[in-house]
Amino acid sequence: MRSTYGVVLPEMKLDNLPGKLIVIEGTDGVGRSTQIQLLRPWLEQQGRAVVDTGMTRSKLAGKGIKQAKQGHTLGRVTLNLFYATDFADRLENEIVPALRAGFVVLTDRYTYSLIARAVIRGIDPAWVRNIYRFALIPDAVFYLKIGVDDLIPRVVFSTGFDYWESGMDLYPSEDMYESFRKYQSALLGEFGNLVEEYQFKVIDATQDIPVVFEDLREGISDVLAESEPPSLETVAAQGRREAAPAENSPPADNNGSGN
Amino acid sequence: MKRYGEHRFPGKLLVVEGIDGSGKSTQLNLLHQWLRAEGYGTVFSEWNSSPLVRDTTRRGKKKKMLTPASFCLIHATDFADRMEHNIIPLLKAGAVVLCDRYIYTAFARDVARGMDPGWVRELYAFAVKPTLAFYFRVPLEVAMKRLLNGRSGFKFYEAGMDMELSADPVESFELFQGKILEEYDKMIPEFDLTVVDATLPIEEQQTRMRQLVKSKLAQAKRLRVAP
Repeated sequence: MRSTYGVVLPEMKLDNLPGKLIVIEGTDGVGRSTQIQLLRPWLEQQGRAVVDTGMTRSKLAGKGIKQAKQGHTLGRVTLNLFYATDFADRLENEIVPALRAGFVVLTDRYTYSLIARAVIRGIDPAWVRNIYRFALIPDAVFYLKIGVDDLIPRVVFSTGFDYWESGMDLYPSEDMYESFRKYQSALLGEFGNLVEEYQFKVIDATQDIPVVFEDLREGISDVLAESEPPSLETVAAQGRREAAPAENSPPADNNGSGN
Repeated sequence: MKRYGEHRFPGKLLVVEGIDGSGKSTQLNLLHQWLRAEGYGTVFSEWNSSPLVRDTTRRGKKKKMLTPASFCLIHATDFADRMEHNIIPLLKAGAVVLCDRYIYTAFARDVARGMDPGWVRELYAFAVKPTLAFYFRVPLEVAMKRLLNGRSGFKFYEAGMDMELSADPVESFELFQGKILEEYDKMIPEFDLTVVDATLPIEEQQTRMRQLVKSKLAQAKRLRVAP
């Protein structure tokens, strides 16, 4: 039986979803899509059917969001809700049917990027978290972690600075480099806040592409070997266990539940 | 982000709610005429939603792509756009803003479609609390009689056909509206809705509305002296 973050959508049956939901998270330009391109054939060689999905790819709202971002006309609350519509459409029409059919669903970002982006834009953190309480808890979230100093050269030598990825709506400046640095620093800080809350498995994304790929393969192999999907209780309990030793490490050693 | 609560803007927000056939739009039009004659800067919030959001909603409806969740979220997106680009600027400018339907319509419809009541309310927490929200309460039979006289049919989502309550659009509409009425009744105490008995003569309802509105307009801006 699968779980959500607290709210179940009408007619969404959570039993009998034998596939695996694997999320690759991380900031713009960190190499998520490169890794997904490598992971897909690797999984398929093992006989695993794969569906990959990502933001703004819904039939319903994808086009509208892309057009809206061209004109920069939507308000912050509106844009957030537009993304939530896109996510709901993909969850119901793409992710859940694929999991039901036993696919490995590889998703390029999930709700966490949406939460991080919203929060640094001044949206109420509790409000945006509530929206995504209907999301399925993934089998694993791999967070490609990088610092802003390592990120900048990658972006410069691949796609260049993009309006939204530089947070120009938030830090309007004539210098995109300055905006990018400020915006990505804030975003990475917010991602950092989500690591424990949502039990991200952190991967060092400053390593070379093949090394990151190896780390991901190792992590995904473990996930594929697991039989039970995660529940809200297990995720929360794990969060508490990992958070606890810092505060009261001596008693924690005694209960024998450690590593 | 400010959460649902009393706003501090100089304008006033007046809302009418109720099922189709309750007569709420007629009452809001009469109120509009009166407010203008009294010299208040009055604006119908025209639901000037951005074309991008509107096109998505329209396409979703036309192609019957919407589930209860995406129906709820695309309407919330549309409403957010009205809130950010229309209602709030007007309230800041000191206008008396009139809305035919507001967040309570969304709560009634979405919960009738099976969405979680607490979740939907939190989703709309960015909405401004109205100065007055009138709920035109009418028995289902009365509303149905009014509607069937004047209309040729019901649209797919309007009749709640997506819920597969009945294959007959009129019967489906009636069953769906019954569920919506139940949701409205729950919201009266929760949101302090001002109940108007919509079976009363039109003038009587309007007189009551005007009295209540007058008491709330003390600091609203007048554009010119009343004739």
